[in-house]
Amino acid sequence: MLRLENLVKTFGALRAVDGVSIEIRPGEVFGLLGPNGAGKSTTLAMAVGLTAPDSGRVEITGHGSPTSPSSRRVLGIAPQALALYHDLTAEENLRFFGRLYGLRGSALKGRVDTVLAMVGLGDRRRDRVKTYSGGMQRRLNLAAALVHDPALVLLDEPTAGVDPQSRNNILDLVRLLASQGRTIVYTTHYMEEAQKLCTRVGIIDKGRLLGVGTVDELIARHGGKAVVTIERDDGAERVESDDPMVVVAKAAAAGGTLRGVRIDRPDLESVFLAMTGRRLRD
Amino acid sequence: MNAIVALALKDLKLLLRDRANAFFTFVFPLALAVFFGYVFSGMYGSGGEGVGQLPIAVVDLSGGPESRAFLADLQADAALEVTLAATQAEGEALVKKKKVGACVVIPEGFDEAAGALFAGKTLEVRAYVDPTRGAEGGLLTGKLNELAFRRMQGAFTDPAAMRKSLDNSRAALDQSDAIDPAQKALLFDMFDSITKAQGGLAAAPDGANAQGGFNGWKPIQVTVEKLEFTTAGRAMPTSSYAVSFPQGVVWGLLGCVMAFAVSLAGERAAGTLLRLTVAPIGKGAILAGKALACFLACLLVQCLLLLLAIGPFKVRVPDWGVMLLVVVLTSFAFTGLMMLLAGLARTEGAAQGLGRAVVLILAMIGGGTIPLFILPAGVQTFSKVSPFTWATISLEGALWRGYAWPDMILPGAVLLAFGLVGFVVGVSAMRWSSST
Ligand SMILES: Nc1ncnc2c1ncn2[C@@H]1O[C@H](COP(=O)(O)OP(=O)(O)OP(=O)(O)O)[C@@H](O)[C@H]1O
Ligand SMILES: [Mg+2]
Repeated sequence: MLRLENLVKTFGALRAVDGVSIEIRPGEVFGLLGPNGAGKSTTLAMAVGLTAPDSGRVEITGHGSPTSPSSRRVLGIAPQALALYHDLTAEENLRFFGRLYGLRGSALKGRVDTVLAMVGLGDRRRDRVKTYSGGMQRRLNLAAALVHDPALVLLDEPTAGVDPQSRNNILDLVRLLASQGRTIVYTTHYMEEAQKLCTRVGIIDKGRLLGVGTVDELIARHGGKAVVTIERDDGAERVESDDPMVVVAKAAAAGGTLRGVRIDRPDLESVFLAMTGRRLRD
Repeated sequence: MNAIVALALKDLKLLLRDRANAFFTFVFPLALAVFFGYVFSGMYGSGGEGVGQLPIAVVDLSGGPESRAFLADLQADAALEVTLAATQAEGEALVKKKKVGACVVIPEGFDEAAGALFAGKTLEVRAYVDPTRGAEGGLLTGKLNELAFRRMQGAFTDPAAMRKSLDNSRAALDQSDAIDPAQKALLFDMFDSITKAQGGLAAAPDGANAQGGFNGWKPIQVTVEKLEFTTAGRAMPTSSYAVSFPQGVVWGLLGCVMAFAVSLAGERAAGTLLRLTVAPIGKGAILAGKALACFLACLLVQCLLLLLAIGPFKVRVPDWGVMLLVVVLTSFAFTGLMMLLAGLARTEGAAQGLGRAVVLILAMIGGGTIPLFILPAGVQTFSKVSPFTWATISLEGALWRGYAWPDMILPGAVLLAFGLVGFVVGVSAMRWSSST
């Protein structure tokens, strides 16, 4: 669906994206996980043809370059920074963006109604965007990327700075979009979101793609062992193991009073730590 | 095309919804035009009190009692303000200097004709009008016909004048060979019966007959001709509002230029430019949409001001064709200027700064503050660097300088050039990339 080949982008001396290659398959939810400044947004900008790479190539399968008119019709991007007209209503924003894609008449009205319902803003459609809460604006920002019914949807940190209610709405929406057969690229620095939503995840840091795979694959490859913490009266004992339940069973069999047992399974956070020596969020 | 229109409509909507922008683009210029017009009313022309009196020059070449009576009628008419001129040349000169709207000539044969109306003589009056005062030409034609007709009626209602006229007519008829004897006899009979009736009032022909009937007898002939001359540079404003409305337009155009120059940088900052860029419409369409919005706003503000000027403030537009040309060219020029600013300014702040530093000054020297024509000659020359100056000149040309099409060539070309240069430089300086 989308092929990124050896993308490089520098800003002055900074290599913001440094040789990123990803092949995104039709119908998958691909997560691009990385900390602030990792190069996620810059990668997306190159993927949709907003920024020209210094070197490397982007191809939308079947449509060629992302700047070709046919690519633009299948691409939908919800930028990280809200990109909305605050003095227009939600409906006016969506109608306007829809018209840019050649929609008009009842087709336009139908799409606008559909996406407003998808993001749960139907009842506020005639209010100006500037009167919206941050979470509502985020949801509308997403709706604006969907109004022309794109097959490939790129969401740049769609849950940044939103309340739990809007976040859940957005996560449900991503699942819905995936169930409709759309291909989704989702950037985030919340590993829980990547873990919950994504079929595959790419881990990016300092412009480099450190690993790609399903969450399980990544954890198996880079997550290390689970940590079992066994607390007794005389203190706590930490045991690393690939099979934590065996450790727990042994500890129970060994007798004595167990005050507590905790199993810390490796997650994407551990993967990131193993790969970079740093935590995802500081 | 659909996309360009959508872009432009969106921008106009945003302009109207932004209170500050809408105020500076539409309300402020209007208020200014009305204020300046009010403060300086009475300084120029007939002020804002509508058509008022039409100043005319009158040349009496006949010099008899009838022509003097006709002159007195003209002077007594509330709609006319009469200046006497000795010769037709002198009268026409007054028209060309815009001191009067028309020169009325009472020809040499007026008294003679008044005395022999029944002999087929015609009361003739000629007028030469300022071509830029079309409506007044019509008014004058009506007035002259009315007063000449009154003169003719006078010849019938005053018994002495009547008898004299009949005698003269009889004599003329006697000598004429052109008229068929039977008809002659009939007319003599009529003259006799009128003379017998003494007052003759009852037998006097009514107005319609007098003017049209009697076998092609045409007792009154008023000819109105337009004088051919160019007034460029010599004219004076017809009212203070004719001066203040172009000033208002300058501020309105400034408002449009500022609002839209900032709007492109604003879209870049707000990220909406990014959405426009990823839409399948092309950069040309984005710029065209912005330009169309600015162009429409420029048209709108000018039309609004113009409507107010010709409506409540009774400013006259002599030639709507020229006015239309001016409004369109001005809108084009300032759209170009907006594109230039938008292209040069990378950020909203830069656009605003450039706007304040450069455009505001250009507007001030371009007729926005002090009317151009009262500036000293040197300053007037210098002010030609400002596109606002050319807009002002053109608007004044269309409103009161009496510009005809040929007079528009220079200012029109300059406005066109400003617009084109603005477009070309602005578009080539435009930056698109912005991070997501
Ligand atoms: N237009 C630009 N000019 C200069 N530097 C830039 C520009 N855009 C991005 N950068 C730099 O490139 C690096 C990558 O930025 P990018 O926005 O892609 O990161 P990100 O992964 O999206 O981060 P975040 O999670 O904070 O959004 C950063 O160091 C950033 O400062
Ligand atoms: Mg980012």
